Amino acid sequence: MRQLRTTLLLSICSLMLTSCADVRAWERGYLAREEMAWDPDTLESSLNDHIFFSKEASSGGNSAAGGGCGCN
Amino acid sequence: MNIKQKSQMLALLTLTAVSTSAWAVEEGDSAPTFDLPSIYADHPAISTASLEGKTIYVDFWASWCAPCLTSLPLYNDMYHKYKDQGLEIVAINVDNPIEDGLDFLLDTPLDFLIPADPDGEAAELFEVIGMPTSYLIEPNGTVKLVHMGFRSGDIEMIEEAIEDSLGGN
Repeated sequence: MRQLRTTLLLSICSLMLTSCADVRAWERGYLAREEMAWDPDTLESSLNDHIFFSKEASSGGNSAAGGGCGCN
Repeated sequence: MNIKQKSQMLALLTLTAVSTSAWAVEEGDSAPTFDLPSIYADHPAISTASLEGKTIYVDFWASWCAPCLTSLPLYNDMYHKYKDQGLEIVAINVDNPIEDGLDFLLDTPLDFLIPADPDGEAAELFEVIGMPTSYLIEPNGTVKLVHMGFRSGDIEMIEEAIEDSLGGN
């Protein structure tokens, strides 16, 4: 009974793996669309990044340019 | 059931689950055949059957793929250089909607064959892994070269393979 339960559980887990559909190479155009971007307004987001890393004296972890001196 | 048996079963089930995708076309394989409409409404359909006996350079491209847009004008020059020797270039556009591809072609007219494959039927047959990917197919239908991506200097390598293939005709 226990063996059957284990097999059943593994089968279900295996079936769930097939539901992880990947985006095929030729479908990546959907991801390139503007509405798919994390930030809807790139100008505002880069300004916010700049303010954040100047005020917090921190850098890295985002795409803001600069060496971390907070001077630019 | 011991741990070894359990792990073997898990491995088998996982393999079954991930083996649903087919293998990508590789060098030495027979090229898949396709029959696609042209991206231009007033042009005839393009099929591998109509290109039999020619050296074909098949390229998958889209308007959202920057390296594709770099490569296409170079392919146009390459087409003019080798078309008299029997080279045919088939640049399959995978844009959906196809108007995105047509917008690019308005600014960059290309003289070779451009089929439209918005549903990725041909791309699926070739199991394209990345964009752009191109395939040099010899007159006997064998894939001589598979080239993924496009960087400066790649065109020389591609032309070398084409010259090699045309020289063998």
